[in-house]
Amino acid sequence: MWKSKSVKGSRGQMRVVEAIMASLIVVSAVVFLYIFTATPSSSTYETGELEKIGHNVLHDIDEQRLLARYIYNSPPEWANLTAALMVSLPTDVYFNLTVYDLNGNAKNNVMVSYGSQQIFTTSKAVASVTYIVPGYKTIYDPRIVVLQLVRG
Amino acid sequence: MKIVRAKKGQFIVIAALMLSIMIISISTVIYGTVTYFRHERWEEYVTILDSVKTGSSYMLEISLAKYSQAQNPTQNQTILRDNLNQWVRDVRKAYPGFGVDLSYSLATGIRSGYGVSPNYNMGLNYTWNRKVSYSAANATFDMNIASVGLTGYSFSTHTFLKMNIADALWYTTGNQVGVRLVIEAEGPTPVTNLQKGNFLVFRVDGADKAFTLYRYYDSRGHPVKSPTYPALNAYVFELRYSAGSRPTSVNVVVSVRDSRGIQVTGAYSIPASLIIDY
Repeated sequence: MWKSKSVKGSRGQMRVVEAIMASLIVVSAVVFLYIFTATPSSSTYETGELEKIGHNVLHDIDEQRLLARYIYNSPPEWANLTAALMVSLPTDVYFNLTVYDLNGNAKNNVMVSYGSQQIFTTSKAVASVTYIVPGYKTIYDPRIVVLQLVRG
Repeated sequence: MKIVRAKKGQFIVIAALMLSIMIISISTVIYGTVTYFRHERWEEYVTILDSVKTGSSYMLEISLAKYSQAQNPTQNQTILRDNLNQWVRDVRKAYPGFGVDLSYSLATGIRSGYGVSPNYNMGLNYTWNRKVSYSAANATFDMNIASVGLTGYSFSTHTFLKMNIADALWYTTGNQVGVRLVIEAEGPTPVTNLQKGNFLVFRVDGADKAFTLYRYYDSRGHPVKSPTYPALNAYVFELRYSAGSRPTSVNVVVSVRDSRGIQVTGAYSIPASLIIDY
């Protein structure tokens, strides 16, 4: 009687140990996956991402027919353009926008920017997007919009 | 007994190992599939394509606006060609080093669309002073970017503004006539953002009329009215003016300019059958 009880108890303990070992193996597999599937971060990857974001934001504002209005209205609506970019871009992305004519002369006498300008000189990943706007209403007078982006 | 127990234990551990290998393998494949796009390099030429495409579309709007705002649009028949020639040069200048080469062809002859058939001349057409009047521009572009080996990227773009003088309502209480217009842009997209100032001319029986502008979506008819008042099922601009008595016909001229600056003028003598008691 005593021997049979002892065998039963030992068998139960082993089952628990086996279950714990199996669980550990499965959990370690999941942890392994979590560690190795983390998004890689590199300056090239980051610049590409920022270029995509910047281009999409400019394109969206232009599609809503706001970009040309902000640039060509008299006086130009630089404050509204800054606000539109701030609303459209992620909060941790800083920007600096300059509008040029085709001869390379800057047309905005007011800074269209957000965030510390220091970051643009210190950051390793500064993205730049160029966008051309042909004119507004009946006026044909192309402007080149250069948007620089950096993550703060 | 001991040997049997050990065999069972080994089996569970081996099963767990196999399960782990399966989880890792499947997850790796799924992760690689769903994040494939992230590892594709963002090419700057996509920005150029998008920018030039949108800009070319605006060129048509700018040219059509200038064309339709003239007293006699045919005097400006070459405006689209002239603007696009300049645009082609400026695009090259705006993206130096990319080898951007943009060319275009202007629509010529009759092209049907949106329930009308504009007869294009150098990419432009205006068909005015009718019940259904419109201004239209149409061009096809071809683009090459030598720096990335992209050739033969082709896209068409068109700009359009149509005004339909639908009918008139007679308001017995208040002795007013409401001329109802339906205005559409390309798409066809209903134009909904016009204000009173966008209606440059509103003339009834040869005389300019003061009017009040009402805007609404008309989806509910009134079959008890005589003649029956059918729903237009469209966004309606109603220009309402005072009249001494119920008119037998309304001879109306309306000129409208949309937010893009494109203009269209319609003229129509609304017959008694389209003047509805309301």
